[in-house]
Amino acid sequence: MSKVIQFSRRNKLLILVALSYILLSIFMPDKAVQSLKNSLYYIKEMLMIMPVILLLTALITAWVPKKAIEKNLGKDSGIKGSIFSFLLGSFSAGPIYAAFPVCKALLSKGASISNIVILLSTWAVIKVPMLLNEAKFLGPKFMIVRWILTTIAIFIMGYVTSKLVKKEDLPLDDIKENSSVDTLNISSEYCIGCGLCAKIAPEYFKVENKKAKVIKQCIKQDIKQDIKQGEMKIVNEAIEKCPSKAINQNKQVNF
Amino acid sequence: MDVFTLAFWIITLIWFIGSIIKDKKKTIDSVKMSSGMMKHIAGEIVAILFLIGLILTFLPPETIKQYAGQSNSIVTTIVFALVGCITLIPAFVAFPLAGSLVNAGASIVPVVAFLTTLTMVGIVTFPLEKKEFGTKFTLIRNSLSFIFAISIALIMGVIL
Repeated sequence: MSKVIQFSRRNKLLILVALSYILLSIFMPDKAVQSLKNSLYYIKEMLMIMPVILLLTALITAWVPKKAIEKNLGKDSGIKGSIFSFLLGSFSAGPIYAAFPVCKALLSKGASISNIVILLSTWAVIKVPMLLNEAKFLGPKFMIVRWILTTIAIFIMGYVTSKLVKKEDLPLDDIKENSSVDTLNISSEYCIGCGLCAKIAPEYFKVENKKAKVIKQCIKQDIKQDIKQGEMKIVNEAIEKCPSKAINQNKQVNF
Repeated sequence: MDVFTLAFWIITLIWFIGSIIKDKKKTIDSVKMSSGMMKHIAGEIVAILFLIGLILTFLPPETIKQYAGQSNSIVTTIVFALVGCITLIPAFVAFPLAGSLVNAGASIVPVVAFLTTLTMVGIVTFPLEKKEFGTKFTLIRNSLSFIFAISIALIMGVIL
């Protein structure tokens, strides 16, 4: 029973739509049939494009050298830095809030305000797999024109924001520096539930209710003594690969 | 299947096969990750797709045309942009939804405004963004995004 409640809480919209269809088929069956027919075209089209988008997102995640791009975002990276921010955003996956921790990490590495705005906005509106979806449902011409205009807008926004906001206006990092024990943590508000960490280090992470959880701590001291060095490496890999940088290990942060 | 979709299938499949040959484990892991993310929003995708049917049934094309048909209506555009700011649906399903409105006779101007604010302006994620980047940054970024969303929409109305 609690599972049913949990499911409906997470899928409010789906329940609402399903209820509307049920009520319709009781009181106005012809309208229900008509609605289904109207949806059918979009469902069919979506089924045809969804696997490609899924595959494309996976391939981009696997092969676009994000690390190399991130390295080019530091201080005084100039126009090259802006272009790299644009590329990083274009080849990302996940909703805009998944970009917040990534940007935060880049800021601490010296990325400029304008590059952060460019990265955030590109991440939000013009990701490559989404462009594909847009062209499918609204036409390639629509997609290209919107892409060009949005790209121009994003660069202007980056410039304007960097004039108005200075780095001193941003809140400081709240990473606790005092602990000598490095505990693993996952910011659940940023976890997108992709399950990558649980795949890489199943002993330490588990996905529950669409969010990853730490199930075992990986404490540095222990590792030095008796546990294999390999374990630490696996955990570090999970931290590094997390697409929204939601995992952190106090102080000894990986970025 | 139209030419466009077919072309993307072919390109993606070739890349996929190449990827498997080069590094099988890496490829499979990434596919699992992206299907995990997809599963996350599957409920919403299904819901919106069926919602489109309901909208098209109860909002006949004449009504849609009457309220969102004129490309010069700044009021409609702002209303659509505002709806985009507070809506939290994956961009993924926003496109079929937008497409269905355009097919039913809506002007592209409000639709573009909606699409752009939907992804770029986040009222719901505002507290999170504020926590990470501070109030000033967040306010400026979101307001600029809103202004540009309207401008992009109006320019697109002229071009297309």
